Amino acid sequence: MSAPPLLELHDVTVAYHGRPVLWHVDLAVQSPCLFGIIGPNGAGKSTLIKAALGIVPLVEGWVHFWGKPLDQVRGRVGYVPQRESVDWDFPVRAIDVVLMGTYHRLGWLRRVGRAEREFAQACLDRVGMADFATRQIGRLSGGQQQRVFLARALAQQAEIYFLDEPLAGVDAQSQQQIFRVLSELRDEGKLVLIVHHDLRTAASWFDRVALVDMRLVAAGPTADVLSRENLARTYSGHHEVLDELGRAVEAGRRTP
Amino acid sequence: MSLLTAAAHVLGLSPNTFVVTVGMAAVGMAAGVVGCFSVLRRRALVGDAAAHATLPGVAIAFAITGSRGLPVLLLGAALSAVASLGVLVLLRRFTRTREDAATAIVIGVSFGVGVALISGLVARGVPGSGGLERFLLGSTASLSTADATMLVVVSLVAMALVAAFTKEATLVSFDPGFAAAAGWPVWWIDFALVALTAVMVVVGLPAAGAVLVTALVVIPPVAARQWTDRVGVMLVLAGLFGLAASLLGVALSATIPGLATGPMVVLAASAIFTVSLLLAPKRGLLAIAMRARQPLSLPLERAQP
Repeated sequence: MSAPPLLELHDVTVAYHGRPVLWHVDLAVQSPCLFGIIGPNGAGKSTLIKAALGIVPLVEGWVHFWGKPLDQVRGRVGYVPQRESVDWDFPVRAIDVVLMGTYHRLGWLRRVGRAEREFAQACLDRVGMADFATRQIGRLSGGQQQRVFLARALAQQAEIYFLDEPLAGVDAQSQQQIFRVLSELRDEGKLVLIVHHDLRTAASWFDRVALVDMRLVAAGPTADVLSRENLARTYSGHHEVLDELGRAVEAGRRTP
Repeated sequence: MSLLTAAAHVLGLSPNTFVVTVGMAAVGMAAGVVGCFSVLRRRALVGDAAAHATLPGVAIAFAITGSRGLPVLLLGAALSAVASLGVLVLLRRFTRTREDAATAIVIGVSFGVGVALISGLVARGVPGSGGLERFLLGSTASLSTADATMLVVVSLVAMALVAAFTKEATLVSFDPGFAAAAGWPVWWIDFALVALTAVMVVVGLPAAGAVLVTALVVIPPVAARQWTDRVGVMLVLAGLFGLAASLLGVALSATIPGLATGPMVVLAASAIFTVSLLLAPKRGLLAIAMRARQPLSLPLERAQP
């Protein structure tokens, strides 16, 4: 018998206030890779990963990690929420945010100690933010904030990572640094799933992609999935992206 | 001579005045500490809804038991505060009322019902009902030593809980999505924080009354936030500010005859808030104005390798 997939979504359906936003998604990822989740605004990309992580309830379907329900493997799954989802004026410093990644291992009541602090500092170092450890998070640039979030995910020491738009509104340097760390994680044998909206970069960055528009349009190796027909189906009714779409398909062809 | 009477004697106070003073200090401190998370979680008004909703509970507890004892009346206050929070949750869940509107409705309706009940009892000349009005604006005049001791115990327990669960409360307040994904019971932690706020609002009634007690929960944390970028420091400062506001307010209202305690507590808290708003080192208006005059010396936002 073959090993169960790293991640398997079966018939996942999600509704907000009785209105379905995601229909019958079936998706399985067998091996470590950089996996892009692509689609137009409001397509349910974020909802898809929130459903996988148990943050929003499923109306139907189930999600398995290594063939098990999430509750049995929480410590092996990491998450980077959208940057806009938190209050950056909150009284915490970069290092405090990264330390939150160690809370799951600590459990209730136990406080962070020296080992956690040193580890969190190492995680900040890995994303190039070692010098900003004691800065209040609101006084960092958008790209730096995103790298702090990534460092917190590294501190989770997970094997499967979900990232929600980690490259949106981020300066070029931070983008490079984030992408480098994500590639390293993939090379270490980890599965990295990334919600992404920019078609131009999707073709060159991801090993595999899923196209989502309230349902799963297509999933598989990037070069196969980002076809003109699939993109047209995903973005039908989104005329403003048709121009971009043409360029994206071209870019996809040029990528080896 | 017991330790208590000795301490009261040194300060030149009667033992009862001394215990009541300690009680108000503890309540003010705990309200400030607990209030930090309701401010950080952006739920400042939820405490206000619970506060206004204590009034019907006080009136009903009095009408049923005929007792003027503080424990009975505060128990009634706590039950109706919890009921109002339940209504708030139900309004949000089963109707399309927005959170701010739902909060305003709960504040208005529960306060109206409370005032109607109390004035009804007073109008009918029910013996002892006149004393209920002290729950509106606060009064420490009739507190017994036992009452004040109870307030101290509840306050100490509330502060101990916050100290024990600071890590969890900070995580959920800052990033509930991340906390949920990591397996923390976000709903229950949120519920515990709101419940703790409701408890502090209830035990704060003698200090500031239903209308103004929210000032003890909201103003000290906001003032404390001005001075620090760390949750731990903010908790300590908010506790000290709350303690100072409570003591100052109670002392003022005791010195000037005819003044209710609540307004004095609010004035003291606002004074602390105003100073913090103006003079805090990084976030104070003065510091911001100084920085604006020398824009070139502040490369804070520049991205670095």
